[in-house]
Amino acid sequence: MNTRVPTVNDLRVKLCYICREEEHFDSAPQGPPKEWTHPCKCTLVAHESCLLKWIQTSQGDSSRAANALKCPQCGAQYELESDRPVVYRVIGAGNRLLQKAGRLFTLMSAVGAVVVFGSGVYILLTAYGAWAVKQLMGNEMFDLLLTDDPANWPWTAFFNLPSLTLSLILSRFQSIQQIPTLIPILLVWPPSTPIGAHSRLLDDYWTRPSDARTLALNSLPSLTSWPPSPFVFGLFLVPITRAIYRRFFAKLQHWVLGSTPLTSRRSNGLNLQLGDVGPFFLRIRVQDAQRPAEQVPAPAGGNEPADVAPEDLDPVAAAEQLIEIDSASFGRRVGGALLIPAISSVMGSFLFRLSKRSQLLRNILGVRPPLRGLLPPAFGLTLGAHDWEKLSFIKQLGMAFRLVLNATWNGTRTWAAADPVWWRNSLGLGIFVVAKDCIQLLHLWLAKRELETRRVKTRDFEGIDIKELDLIPSFVRNLA
Amino acid sequence: MASISARRLSKELSEIRSEGCPVGINLVQADDFATWLFTIEVMGESLYQGEVHTLQFRFDTSYPISSPAVQFVVTDGKQAPVHPHVYSNGHICASILGNEWSPVLSVVAVCVTLQSMLASCKKKERPVDNDRYVRNAPDNPKKTRFHYDDDTV
Repeated sequence: MNTRVPTVNDLRVKLCYICREEEHFDSAPQGPPKEWTHPCKCTLVAHESCLLKWIQTSQGDSSRAANALKCPQCGAQYELESDRPVVYRVIGAGNRLLQKAGRLFTLMSAVGAVVVFGSGVYILLTAYGAWAVKQLMGNEMFDLLLTDDPANWPWTAFFNLPSLTLSLILSRFQSIQQIPTLIPILLVWPPSTPIGAHSRLLDDYWTRPSDARTLALNSLPSLTSWPPSPFVFGLFLVPITRAIYRRFFAKLQHWVLGSTPLTSRRSNGLNLQLGDVGPFFLRIRVQDAQRPAEQVPAPAGGNEPADVAPEDLDPVAAAEQLIEIDSASFGRRVGGALLIPAISSVMGSFLFRLSKRSQLLRNILGVRPPLRGLLPPAFGLTLGAHDWEKLSFIKQLGMAFRLVLNATWNGTRTWAAADPVWWRNSLGLGIFVVAKDCIQLLHLWLAKRELETRRVKTRDFEGIDIKELDLIPSFVRNLA
Repeated sequence: MASISARRLSKELSEIRSEGCPVGINLVQADDFATWLFTIEVMGESLYQGEVHTLQFRFDTSYPISSPAVQFVVTDGKQAPVHPHVYSNGHICASILGNEWSPVLSVVAVCVTLQSMLASCKKKERPVDNDRYVRNAPDNPKKTRFHYDDDTV
């Protein structure tokens, strides 16, 4: 007497509801044996590999994701078993949380934009730009360059500040290679002379001979001074470092994941991302599909598409697709970009605090005591007009050349003498970017592993009338 | 080895050839596994009495994981039925061809569903946004993201 409930392995003929291949219990299947699964409460059975492929494809399409784990006939939920470590779930939850925050940001900025349209936008951009400069440069340098009172600002600030904000936002909508990141823009700041009260204070200071002598002692800092000037940093170091880092990180990605993720292959980010601007497209009934991969290849007669192997989504691309459903939103992108100055400020002060314990770090960061209102003028020229005339023409030329070179490498004296908050903030931002990339990579790797370890939970045919099933003779014999 | 889509389509084809199509549906052409044509007419009393329309199925190599591209043929003097979910260029707004497609469905099942969609129609009219859609419509209806706002038809 057979009291056991039959399972998928007791069927005489198994018919995969997806590929429609049959397998008889007493004949060996063609090709390698495939796992069978009975994942629901009705009589549908399928190859596990077919079903996993269907689930994976449906989950990658936001309009079908809701039905991905539902039996099309009885509506029972499929149960998946896979390797999902706690870290994967935590990162996933974090990702969804950021997604929600991004959506909220989209909503709020839509409302905000309507309210403060026109000149309001300009003021907003400028104020944000000033805030960003302050975050990145630190209060001291901010007071030197801009001060809190817009009346003191040089006219260039009214162009630079709003364009800084715009470039921050735009940087998120261009491909990685072209990002004009904020740093070059922030740091190729016109070699501003001190303004307002400071400059008057400075003039007084400068005209006293005793003070002038102390300054003159180190009037021309050596070319090798640390940190490099913002100019050199923004124009050369940042692009070079970024290029090297990208190349290295792409290699790392390839090594960890076994293939290159789509996001790194994309040449033009903007096209894809426009499709993600969900809320704004709601009213449009007809919209081109975003992924050309879905296009039906329609070869002319004679070209037999049947011989083409089905294109398998490689696991990395599939994992990416799964994550991207959670992460691609307009609000998250722009909101994230606008937080960059704050992040860099926080990271910078974190580095600063660390540097109190390490002389090496202090040297790397080039920490200097605050100036307390006294500072040398923009160019460290200590020669009076009288001295200048005494020099020969060649010497004059040489002096001028040295001054220019110095200003290029070291920046103006204003920059060189002040505590380089911008430098530690930029380093901090760099560390943040690396950490963020690493977390993303970990997420992708875990998602890929989750996909690879997936199994559909198979059930027995409990609750189904045994007469409805076409069972193998030995099972029926035992039953009798 | 032939692809999964080719093997599945050849099975469906041999079933159609051995068991025949449901009443009102006839296979016209299935020379390859890329494009099939059917004629479809509504039997019994309906707004479409006496009309015969031609349905075109286009399959990609991911069938049945991805849905077939299904539309009415509107060339060579053929016309799409006038129906609130059928555009004059032959494109059909039906959820089973989009987000409710499932591999458990088959070519014949899609034909039968569309046949009953016509049969239950109460008023012959084009979709409200027909002109706008037809002007901008992509060649492949699968590239359109329809909004299935009316579940009753």
